[in-house]
Amino acid sequence: MIRNYFKIALRNLWKNKGFTAINLLGLVIGMTAVILIGTWIQNELSFERFHTNEKSLYKVYNRSTGPGEISTWDITSGPLGKALENDFPEVENSARIYWSAERLFGVGDKSIKTKGNEVDGSFLRMFSFPLLQGNSDDALEGVNNIVITKTLAIKLFGDTDPINKEIKIDNETNYKVTGILKDLPSNTAFDFEYLISLKGNETKYSGSDAWGINTFYTYIQLKPNTLIVHFNEKIKNLVERKSDKYKWEIFLYPVSQSHLYSRFENGKVAGGHIETVRLMAIIGGLILLIACINFMNLSTAQSQKRAKEVGVRKVIGAGKSSLISQFLCESILLAAIGGILALVIAAVYLPYFNQLIEKSLMINFLNPLLWLGLGGFVLFTGLLAGSYPAFYLSSFTPVKVLKGAFKGVKSSFNPRKTLVVLQFSVGIALVIATIVIYQQINFTQNRATGYNVNNLVQVRIEGDIKKNYDLIKTELLSARAVTAMSKTGWGVTVDGSNGSGFKWDGMEQENLNFSLYRTGGNFAKTMDLKLVDGRDIDFSLFPGDSSSVMINETAVKKMGLKDPIGKLIRKDDSALTIVGVFNDFIIGSPYDDVRPMLVFGSVDGVYNIVMRLNGLNDTAKNLKIAADVFSKYNPAYPFTYHFVDQEYAEKFKDEKQIASLSSLFAGLTIFISCLGLFGLAAYMAQNRSKEIGIRKVLGASVGGIVKMLSKEFIMLVVIAIVIAVPISWYFMSEWLQDFTYRIDLEWISFVYAGVGTLLIALLTVSFQAIKAAIVNPVESLKTE
Amino acid sequence: MLLELHNIFKWVTQGGKRIFLLSDINLQVEEGEFISIMGPSGSGKSTLLNVIGMLDGFQEGEYNFLGESVHAMKEKNRSKLYKEYIGFVFQAYHLIDELTVYENIETPLLYKNIKSSERKALVADMLDRFNIVGKKDLFPSQLSGGQQQLVGVARALIAKPKLILADEPTGNLNSKQSEEIMQLFKELNQEGVTIIQATHSETNAAYGSRVLHLLDGRRDHK
Ligand SMILES: Nc1ncnc2c1ncn2[C@@H]1O[C@H](COP(=O)(O)OP(=O)(O)OP(=O)(O)O)[C@@H](O)[C@H]1O
Ligand SMILES: [Mg+2]
Repeated sequence: MIRNYFKIALRNLWKNKGFTAINLLGLVIGMTAVILIGTWIQNELSFERFHTNEKSLYKVYNRSTGPGEISTWDITSGPLGKALENDFPEVENSARIYWSAERLFGVGDKSIKTKGNEVDGSFLRMFSFPLLQGNSDDALEGVNNIVITKTLAIKLFGDTDPINKEIKIDNETNYKVTGILKDLPSNTAFDFEYLISLKGNETKYSGSDAWGINTFYTYIQLKPNTLIVHFNEKIKNLVERKSDKYKWEIFLYPVSQSHLYSRFENGKVAGGHIETVRLMAIIGGLILLIACINFMNLSTAQSQKRAKEVGVRKVIGAGKSSLISQFLCESILLAAIGGILALVIAAVYLPYFNQLIEKSLMINFLNPLLWLGLGGFVLFTGLLAGSYPAFYLSSFTPVKVLKGAFKGVKSSFNPRKTLVVLQFSVGIALVIATIVIYQQINFTQNRATGYNVNNLVQVRIEGDIKKNYDLIKTELLSARAVTAMSKTGWGVTVDGSNGSGFKWDGMEQENLNFSLYRTGGNFAKTMDLKLVDGRDIDFSLFPGDSSSVMINETAVKKMGLKDPIGKLIRKDDSALTIVGVFNDFIIGSPYDDVRPMLVFGSVDGVYNIVMRLNGLNDTAKNLKIAADVFSKYNPAYPFTYHFVDQEYAEKFKDEKQIASLSSLFAGLTIFISCLGLFGLAAYMAQNRSKEIGIRKVLGASVGGIVKMLSKEFIMLVVIAIVIAVPISWYFMSEWLQDFTYRIDLEWISFVYAGVGTLLIALLTVSFQAIKAAIVNPVESLKTE
Repeated sequence: MLLELHNIFKWVTQGGKRIFLLSDINLQVEEGEFISIMGPSGSGKSTLLNVIGMLDGFQEGEYNFLGESVHAMKEKNRSKLYKEYIGFVFQAYHLIDELTVYENIETPLLYKNIKSSERKALVADMLDRFNIVGKKDLFPSQLSGGQQQLVGVARALIAKPKLILADEPTGNLNSKQSEEIMQLFKELNQEGVTIIQATHSETNAAYGSRVLHLLDGRRDHK
């Protein structure tokens, strides 16, 4: 019996090839999108879940209560981990990890820059980053031991066995390879290609006041069955007890949560990646719904044509239940074909999707969840789509069906129309969202940066650059490759440091928070900042500039200074003299207001060079000269540089990603919805071909008929616009609230979205309508 | 006694008024009869056949089939009874376009859950009997009207019904094809199958053992 059903199903699908193609296409696109989104979500949810000790691993956080705000950070002092381990029996193990650094690796005459961390030996025992060669228990217990990933090992050593071989790091120290790490999976936030034993280096990072300098991430493994709430209460004041000086509290936070819930506001978890996951889940759900609706609408439209078959089958003895199973079999078969096609297409398109979301996801075809999900979806869509013809058609008495009683059924509430409205509402809302997101990005990109981002290049200070900086500078300037250069603390697009507690005469607002920045001089000149008042920091003219500071215009305003030059800014025991005021420029988020900023003159703590290339020369020529000069004075390192304009553009990465995703999904939604409309219009035209023929014989014009056929569908899209506009207005104004610097919602963008969609829908429907209208009436009348 | 209708009334309500499609129909049919129903267009022939065939209901009266009262029966039992004993032949053939001749004839057996081997034998018999073995893999659209009606009759017969209901079975056929079908009915009748047909043609009606006249939904006893 089932075989018979499938045979007929296949014949039916084949007979209506066009319809089958349209229906499958919509379903496959929808399912492909959902498989891709699902893979991504699955990856996000699985972050750090693969560690064997997943449930007992924690990261140590600090919490400090300031005026009006509780700040939370995860960088801790050096002795903290061991102290926890020694003082509390609940602690099984602790490991510190120093933040990630790019280092130069040399093997023979090969040298590669690669990034990784310094860690305590216990790290490999706590976390599940298995060694392919070597022993996790002691691989990193010795001084100058290193473990590297398989990929890096191949890059450095090729086919030869790397164990016990030496790597020269930063052209200084030799490290011995004691283990080969399996390459890291895609669902971890750790990002290293090597791990170096911290032993022997740690004093470098802590100095005398070990409890006060926060330089390490500390991880703790608790014994099973430790109640974390109680334990956190016990350790809360450990830093104060140990240091007698520092008052911030500490607490443990589960590693398994640290990816999805990573943002703390006011001492409490406020979100993190989970927000993107939720957004994607909603979008995935909507696309699923739309694909489902499409499938249902087209299948049911099709099934009306099968009314006669239902009637005949009843007359020759089919019971209700056998008809129901026949129709369900058919729709499930089609959904299953769609599911398999979608899986294949998803696998093919995964690399492009990976590019878009900047991940390296893989579809795990052995994952039972995938098959369960896909099977569930196929069954669900199939059942839903098949249930209408199955239950509705088979409930009629055969006489009615044979007489074609359904064609006459015309109720004002037609579920199919409602579904079309729903589809287009979602589509239009997504289109509006896309438009608003792009407008916001454009608006912010066009915001004045306050400095000239072009022709600006940054180089990290490494190797011998520090020693030879003055020579490099002189040579570059005299070669006219650069017109100005400056050493700074961070890159000029990084708002890396902020602080409060500064005091000045006439201070009204306590605890004003400043962006803090350091320069070795010539900062305003290099950046092309306008000096509103005073001068640039310049150690060659003013050797005492390490007690000088420049401030931006916002600082002048917020500090309430009348005549800032010469005024003192104090903190603790030191005092800084304001020597210059420069115009506001964007260093942090371009979506936020510019904050008050202090730029200190400093010869230490500068790790970055920013250079203004000579605009009169070719950029390539300038860079060639720079490369020669840097290689001459820092021969061990390859010359690496970054363009500031590119780094500035990075600030829009997240929003651009959201924009391209939302435009992709908006496009898909509209496309699927139009496929549905196309199919429905085709059916309508077919069903009414006799009517159209008669009308034409009676004298109706082609235009009149096209209008008659299109009107009904276009009304549906208009209703969808009416529904979508207020909803998306609400959500997009919520979204914009997150940005200080933002656009106002404009009704014109809503008009664009509405009219655009309407045009596309019109095109879709009128294609069918015109096709139906120009048929010679003799043809359509003959067939009945 | 095969079936019995007592004071059957069937009506539809239009604009608050009852329009009677059948009024006060009484009819008794013995096994082995061959009855022709005649009457002008719109007189209710098809309606009556559908009621007898349980494809349609009625509002008032009693209907007994093989001693069981159909009007009091649940849909499920009625459908079982129908499947077991009744075969239908239509003027418009009503074959399933997506199925071949073979499959069209086979389908009623599927609904009766008959084993595959047995099905094969039964269908082969039927094809043989109607001389359409050569056409078994064709689809309805590839057959002439007469051939389609042969398939329709074969399909009605395959489940060995006691009663065949035929609603103008030759309405779309030429006189030679009509005669063939009628001849076939006569043979079947001689084999013991009860036949009730609706027809406009006196010639066809003459094949029957008894003629029933309808006018405006009533029996016309003139
Ligand atoms: N659902 C309905 N609503 C209203 N009137 C109906 C309905 N079904 C049938 N009729 C009417 O019942 C009458 C009998 O119809 P029926 O099809 O039985 O006639 P018939 O004798 O078979 O005619 P013909 O020889 O043309 O086939 C007709 O006048 C028809 O208009
Ligand atoms: Mg009739």
